[in-house]
Amino acid sequence: MRRKILAGATAAVFAGLAFFGLGATAEAQDLTKYHNYAELSAMLQTLANVHKTLVKRESLGKTLEKRDIWMLQIAAPGGVPAAERPGVLVAANFEGDHVYGSELALFIADYLVKNYASNASVKQRLDAYIYYVVPRVNPDGAESMWAPVKWARRTNARPFDDDNDGRIDEDGPDDLNKDGVITVMRVKTPGGDYIIDPEEPRLMRRADPKKGEKGEYALFWEGIDNDGDGFINEDGPGGVNINRNFMHEYPFYKPEAGRYMVSEPETRAMLEFMVKHRNVAAILTFGENDNLVAAPTAAGTPAAARGIDLETFAGASIAGANKTGMFTAAASFAFGRGGRGSGGEMMISEEMLQAIMAAGGGPFMMGGGGGGQRGQQAAQQPAGARAQMPGRTAATTYNASDVDYFRTISAKYIELTGIRQTLLNTKPEGAFFSYGYFQFGVPSFSTPGWGLAEAQRGAGMPGMGAMGAGGGQGQMAQMAAGQRGGGGGATGQRAAGSGFAFGGAAAAAGSPDVQGIDRQLLQWMDKEKVDGFAAWTKVKHPELGEVEVGGFKPYAFINPPPAKIAELGKSHAEFALYLPTLFPVVKIAKLEAAAQGGGLYRVKAEIENAGFLPTALTHAVTARSVKPAVVQLQVAPESIISGNQKTNFIQALIGSGGRMKFDWLIKAKGGDTLELKAVSEKGGSDKRAVVLK
Amino acid sequence: MKYAKYILLLAVVLVLIPQGGLTQKNPTPPFKVKVDFNRWHDTNELYADMKRLAAAFPKFVKVGSIGTTVTGRDIMLVTVNNPDTGSEMSKAAFYIESNIHGNEIQGGEICLYTVWYLMENYGRLEPITRLVNERVFYIVPTINPDGRQYFFDGAGGNTRSGHVPVDDDNDGLFDEDPPEDINGDGVVAQIRKYLPGQGTHKVSALDSRLLEPVGLGEKGDYLLLGSEGIDNDHDGRINEDDKGGYDGNRNYPSDWQPPYVQNGAMDYPTQLPEARAEVEFLASHPNVAGLQAYHNNGGMILRGPGAEATGEYPAADVRAYDEIGRNGERILPFYRYIIIWSGLYTVHGGTIDYSNDALGIMSFSNELWNGSQYFTSAELMEQQKDPNNPIAQGTKARFFFDDKLEFSAQFLEWKPFKHPEYGDVEIGGSWSRFTSRVPPVFMLEELCHRNMAFTLYQADEMPKIEIGETSVDKLDGGVFRVFVDIANPKVTPTILAKAAQNNVVRPDLLTFEGRAAEIISASWIDNKVLYKARPSVTGFIDQKDLKRILLRNGFAGKTARTIMYLVKGSGEVTVKYDSVKGGTASKTIKLQ
Repeated sequence: MRRKILAGATAAVFAGLAFFGLGATAEAQDLTKYHNYAELSAMLQTLANVHKTLVKRESLGKTLEKRDIWMLQIAAPGGVPAAERPGVLVAANFEGDHVYGSELALFIADYLVKNYASNASVKQRLDAYIYYVVPRVNPDGAESMWAPVKWARRTNARPFDDDNDGRIDEDGPDDLNKDGVITVMRVKTPGGDYIIDPEEPRLMRRADPKKGEKGEYALFWEGIDNDGDGFINEDGPGGVNINRNFMHEYPFYKPEAGRYMVSEPETRAMLEFMVKHRNVAAILTFGENDNLVAAPTAAGTPAAARGIDLETFAGASIAGANKTGMFTAAASFAFGRGGRGSGGEMMISEEMLQAIMAAGGGPFMMGGGGGGQRGQQAAQQPAGARAQMPGRTAATTYNASDVDYFRTISAKYIELTGIRQTLLNTKPEGAFFSYGYFQFGVPSFSTPGWGLAEAQRGAGMPGMGAMGAGGGQGQMAQMAAGQRGGGGGATGQRAAGSGFAFGGAAAAAGSPDVQGIDRQLLQWMDKEKVDGFAAWTKVKHPELGEVEVGGFKPYAFINPPPAKIAELGKSHAEFALYLPTLFPVVKIAKLEAAAQGGGLYRVKAEIENAGFLPTALTHAVTARSVKPAVVQLQVAPESIISGNQKTNFIQALIGSGGRMKFDWLIKAKGGDTLELKAVSEKGGSDKRAVVLK
Repeated sequence: MKYAKYILLLAVVLVLIPQGGLTQKNPTPPFKVKVDFNRWHDTNELYADMKRLAAAFPKFVKVGSIGTTVTGRDIMLVTVNNPDTGSEMSKAAFYIESNIHGNEIQGGEICLYTVWYLMENYGRLEPITRLVNERVFYIVPTINPDGRQYFFDGAGGNTRSGHVPVDDDNDGLFDEDPPEDINGDGVVAQIRKYLPGQGTHKVSALDSRLLEPVGLGEKGDYLLLGSEGIDNDHDGRINEDDKGGYDGNRNYPSDWQPPYVQNGAMDYPTQLPEARAEVEFLASHPNVAGLQAYHNNGGMILRGPGAEATGEYPAADVRAYDEIGRNGERILPFYRYIIIWSGLYTVHGGTIDYSNDALGIMSFSNELWNGSQYFTSAELMEQQKDPNNPIAQGTKARFFFDDKLEFSAQFLEWKPFKHPEYGDVEIGGSWSRFTSRVPPVFMLEELCHRNMAFTLYQADEMPKIEIGETSVDKLDGGVFRVFVDIANPKVTPTILAKAAQNNVVRPDLLTFEGRAAEIISASWIDNKVLYKARPSVTGFIDQKDLKRILLRNGFAGKTARTIMYLVKGSGEVTVKYDSVKGGTASKTIKLQ
């Protein structure tokens, strides 16, 4: 199967190259469709070719499949040099399947460029600020949208042994019903965990034994067990989800997170860009996280994660795959026994045997793993050492004093776009936009870029509580997973004679603390006439016998129909125009010098932030990630007698007219020109001079 | 008198004759390569000696580069491997890294010593020969060559850091105000001005070379004017933005924390070329099973975790670490075996957290050299407790050692200087960089040898899979019971428990090949003798493909077990145990 997908991708690249040749100078840009890499590259090149003075196209780096990560730099010439202007970064498609974000980013770039001449606010922004637009951070992953068989691929092209069995990418999806999309399989299995949702027969839900419901189905991803290990689709092509490879709340050793932080070229390309562009003062990303429609709470907590139960259930079927072969027990007693001779008799004393038996039966137990392994520390621990450096931990909630800014901006976003409820909201672990706030220190946002025009309310997932597919389901999945995965019985992985695992720890693809949105998603698809749900069809499975294949179609639940690109593109462009209006604006509001006699002068200055945002958010001060504003009197250091230093730092200056006063007594000559400089990383710089009388 | 020498020689010869005759050889034959272990090597000298060793032992020693620093210097790697006993990847490898902090230099000399010692004694000492044949050594004598060179060439600024520019003082300029050695004596020292009766300091009664603050009501003769340097950027501050300004050992991608939690961590992990080169080298060398990262100082054999929140290692790992760490204390007097976070201080994003947690490499970090090593006998240590003794603990002991043993090489006397702003001053009163954190050079060779001995001990205790006795029981109907003994006689497990939890090491594979044989079931038994005498119910190995059994947590250290297959068929079968870090072993058995 794998070969087929790759072949398809190659074909798409060639098709795209042909397109590239034609489109390089034409101005016509079709913004009502999804664009593959070659088409996107050509469109970006066209923008840069046609609008040379406003647009520069640069590559931030190459992916593993040698695609460029394109960045457009959009600013009008003249005035403050572009690199010194406060900037907005728009970036999208960290998750390979969120291609809609790429289109929104492209729309914004196109809008800015084409309206520069005609629209006064666009002109003002491009004259005073700079936009950096990275429409496709994960082009290798995105390209799967044009593969002949589509599956919800978030990852890049990094070969990765997902189940760590010594074989890489050996068990990917297989399109059993030949409909071109990978969905899920339900298999009638006595003792299975799931039943058909009686209220919505297209959906599945977990049987609740406490209500007398008897489980009838097992759920798997659509595919076969290519490597014969008892799991289906546990190691598909790729890779690493770039939005799980950044540092903030990095999900160590979890699915799709990569071998280590910043292991991927895409991740590194973005971070290298950020470190070189400290002038970026706000970040807008499009992806599977949301902190714009649902702003952080007053306490700074981000909104709860939501996902698709069908995916969570299917994902749970492979959760045990990376635990196969975890043996526990006897090792603890074996240590120190035996010796260098390996061929001879292996002696075990009766006491040791007793100890092994007392410790819980047979010497080898399946499943579990990791239990009871916090041992005593035998290395020396001088007392009081811990006090030498008390542990600090990184913030995981938005600083309460920054939340109001986020909420203000969120309200504006909702007003402009009309989106009141997003569907998916992945738990941000290792996500770029979280890095943007928690480590880079600027207002940083993520939004899927589309959603429902009406917010639904209720317990758990808004609007979902009463319908039974909400949070409780997730918790139950987790409980059952715990029973199966950690039980340690010999039957933990295989059940009911099928030879295939089901259940298992639900820690893999779908997190069990994710609230299901299946019902809501289906309602939206019905209402919008989106062809996003494959009806269940019967298929003969080589290993499982008769199965039914169906469920949410990949891409369809992440990317709305192309008509939404133009429909929501304009409001997102307006939002991108709104962001710079909030930036801090550092000004020298006052500078005066008065002669004190004897060649002494009293110099007084006031620095003002005339913008809305502070020069640094409170968390940015804590995190030391935004440089303090520098206020420097341009004189020889030794000419200052008293008062302020020559060089002064303002950690943060609040907006809406916040001021800070400075006062120097200096030795100088009448007629000298005295200059004061104020430089803020996010709020621009100002210079002012006064002639001494 | 002239003949005394010859008489002595004759006596020696006469003594030797009865024992071995004239064929007795000098137990220390001349060395093939002469390397100095009583002087310090700057980066260039270190690299030159590495290349001389590679040229002298071309079959075993290769020198290459694993990356380039921001100034364009290569980060050099020495590989020691015997190609006749297998490719690098087929053998467990030991990785040694040193000097990530530019000022912590002596690890570089240990690395050089290790390569030199292995090669000079190959074919001469059996354990060394065996080690070179069985293992691979990857050795990076300085992972921070810029910092090391700056330690030698610079006058004593921030030599701990590497040279990726950092704006320490937030003024938008990078590394623009380093310290200066204005009197050109190679050290950034103190400046004092002689102002009789008006100063804040006076000459110490303890030693005339020292100044001490005056007491209440006293008058001093000296005013201290800070350290040598000028205000390069005219911002009113001196020496506030030296080269670099970070801690390379906080830039690794396990438990990396942003700078406000972990000072010196930089903006993101592996941002520094040094960390990145090492991270990528180790990630692409899964055969590395043991690691040593040399630092100074304090006399410690450190292991992770670096931070409490990471959690203590699993018990099985702790046992293996303890065994090696405690023997390390016996090999290295004055060194203590310590956990970083609880015994030293919290470290986020350090090298050995990455190598242990993300790669499953048993990793230690030695803090080389300890102040107690100046006066080492019990008697002298007793004397040091007496404040009136010439070697009383502290300043007196330091001066005594410098005067009597290093001939005043390490303390810089005050010397007059005409300062552009302060006029007539004196500069000095400081210790050189080559003391305190590093041993006196005459004690360097012992430091090299003992630390090397510890790494060679750990390298020898890396996992090594062996297949022992096999036997076959014939049952009815063409069914056989096949027993294969498997052992790992070394302390280190083939896969650390932490690595198994994190799923970061490929599981060991137990494969079974037989053209005419099918496996009915497979089970582990702990004691074959006991089992044969009194068979008990064994647990299934519950995997679908029994011809390729995954052992996700590998094979424990110092352990022997038996795998028992129930097989139907005939002919020969081959059982192979394949471990990424423990090597490969196999045996072919006839079903009869």
